Amino acid sequence: MSETQVLLESVLQAIVAGLFIGAIYGLMCVGLAMIFGIMRVINFAQGDFMMLGMYAAYFAFVGFGAQLFGTAAGSFVAALAAAPAMFAFGWAMHRLLIRRVTGTQSAGMEAEGHYAQLILTLGIALVLQNGAMILFGAHMVSIRTPLSSAAWFVGPFGDGMALFLNKARIVAAAVSVAVILALWLMIRRTGLGKSLRAAADNPEASVYMGIDVDRAHRTAFGLGTAITALAGGLLAANYPFHPFVGLEYVIIMYAGVVLGGIGSVLGAFWGGMTIGLVQQLSALVLPTQLQNATIFVFFLLIVILRPQGFFGRNVERV
Amino acid sequence: MLEIRNFVAGYSQVAVLHEVSLTVEAGQFVSVVGPNGAGKSTLFKGISGTVAPMGGEIRFLGEDLLKVPPSRRAHLGIAHVPEGRQVFASLSVLENLEMGARTPEGRRTWSRNLEQIFAWLPVLAQRRDQPAGTLSGGEQQMVAIGRGLASAPKLLMLDEPSMGLAPAVADFVFDKLMEIRRDTGLTLLLVEQRVAEALQFADRGYVLETGRVVLEGPCERLRADDRVRQAYLGM
Ligand SMILES: Nc1ncnc2c1ncn2[C@@H]1O[C@H](COP(=O)(O)OP(=O)(O)OP(=O)(O)O)[C@@H](O)[C@H]1O
Ligand SMILES: [Mg+2]
Repeated sequence: MSETQVLLESVLQAIVAGLFIGAIYGLMCVGLAMIFGIMRVINFAQGDFMMLGMYAAYFAFVGFGAQLFGTAAGSFVAALAAAPAMFAFGWAMHRLLIRRVTGTQSAGMEAEGHYAQLILTLGIALVLQNGAMILFGAHMVSIRTPLSSAAWFVGPFGDGMALFLNKARIVAAAVSVAVILALWLMIRRTGLGKSLRAAADNPEASVYMGIDVDRAHRTAFGLGTAITALAGGLLAANYPFHPFVGLEYVIIMYAGVVLGGIGSVLGAFWGGMTIGLVQQLSALVLPTQLQNATIFVFFLLIVILRPQGFFGRNVERV
Repeated sequence: MLEIRNFVAGYSQVAVLHEVSLTVEAGQFVSVVGPNGAGKSTLFKGISGTVAPMGGEIRFLGEDLLKVPPSRRAHLGIAHVPEGRQVFASLSVLENLEMGARTPEGRRTWSRNLEQIFAWLPVLAQRRDQPAGTLSGGEQQMVAIGRGLASAPKLLMLDEPSMGLAPAVADFVFDKLMEIRRDTGLTLLLVEQRVAEALQFADRGYVLETGRVVLEGPCERLRADDRVRQAYLGM
């Protein structure tokens, strides 16, 4: 193989890895898009909701997933099983706390309650992080499945080039794409989805339609929590995690949502996908410690060059 | 059908409406007129529950409306077409109508109702898949009215349907409303700045000033009242 081919091979490899990890990031971002993009709630604890999703998936895996479904399928079953629990968690969070600083309650507040949301969710984040450390300990945990270290090889093609595709990530990416499609159909086509959109679009008019706006917001918050947590559970098969892991990902999520155009669910997916690609490609030239810094710089560039995002349609949110 | 007695409401504990009483009988068309800031929209919001009541009583079909959560009131048969249209900008025209039809009666009669709405307001059929936010002001007002009708209401409340429209378009909207009322006999409660029109076709009228009903009665009597003629009809 010539030198250009070696380079080409690693670029292709990075693109493939970027697409797979990007699909999971996309799912993660879609969860935040439901909460921040559509419902306009600033949630600093989204990364920690994801951390909880990782632990929930982990305990589901060691609790029953591995025994009942085997270590390969079990990890994905565990991630999916954690989602409804995290929906309930998000729902309850909204019912008990978030509701007080959002929707009709925030009408008279400064900056529509955004300051209050910022402080409240920062507080929730700290409680979750430290609570997790007390309960689960500060050490790294991972969901070990044989698929994490198994790969399919594509090739050889060209002059001896070959790509390897990590099996755990392929399955995780496929699950992500399926969930996003299902969510998208739900939002576009079903009565529930339409009333969620209406409640986000114009809360006051929604009341006149007989929509319980508070409940619609709570449902959206629960969905957003469950989706990000599911992404966490899927990620946990490849990445070890700890109680403070949320911080790393919350940046990715906000960057993805802004990149995708605030308010657009599909846009958030493409935003997350783009970040996955940027991250993997930057790893070709930069040391891995700088990966997150790359995302920061990238995020700044987006905000400077195109604050309205790249993928969202303007009419989706007027 | 709708009985409001000594109703007090306002914003952040400051009363805007002071002991307002108003009655709408089934099948009637009642107009409420008054200067800007009189509290007409606040009265409508009080009926729909988006401002908090501070006193008095509202009954709808005998039921104590103030005990019904705001989001349940549409289900009793009250449709509120709010001031400034307030369409769901990001939803298509058809989806806006579907949102109106979330009430039990609206669901039951949906397909028949939709046909009827499209017959009255053909522009909605032409624009059915377009996001409502991209329509003109007049078209958005049609969406708001169609959305109200889609709930198959017993009482239709319209807050300044002519607001911000060119006179010709406002006339058209008003004619449509009169056509719909002729066809269905629907009970109407209308707030209007265009006092001449509002008092021409209505059965009863109320004049609201700084949160108080200062005059009420059959419309022919209001039209003949000197104060109304001077202040609102420019005569
Ligand atoms: N959200 C609000 N917060 C505080 N005060 C309000 C609010 N909305 C209206 N008001 C006040 O309540 C009073 C009545 O307002 P309202 O909108 O009911 O008047 P209106 O009769 O509908 O006027 P217009 O003809 O201009 O629509 C006004 O003094 C207004 O400033
Ligand atoms: Mg008004």
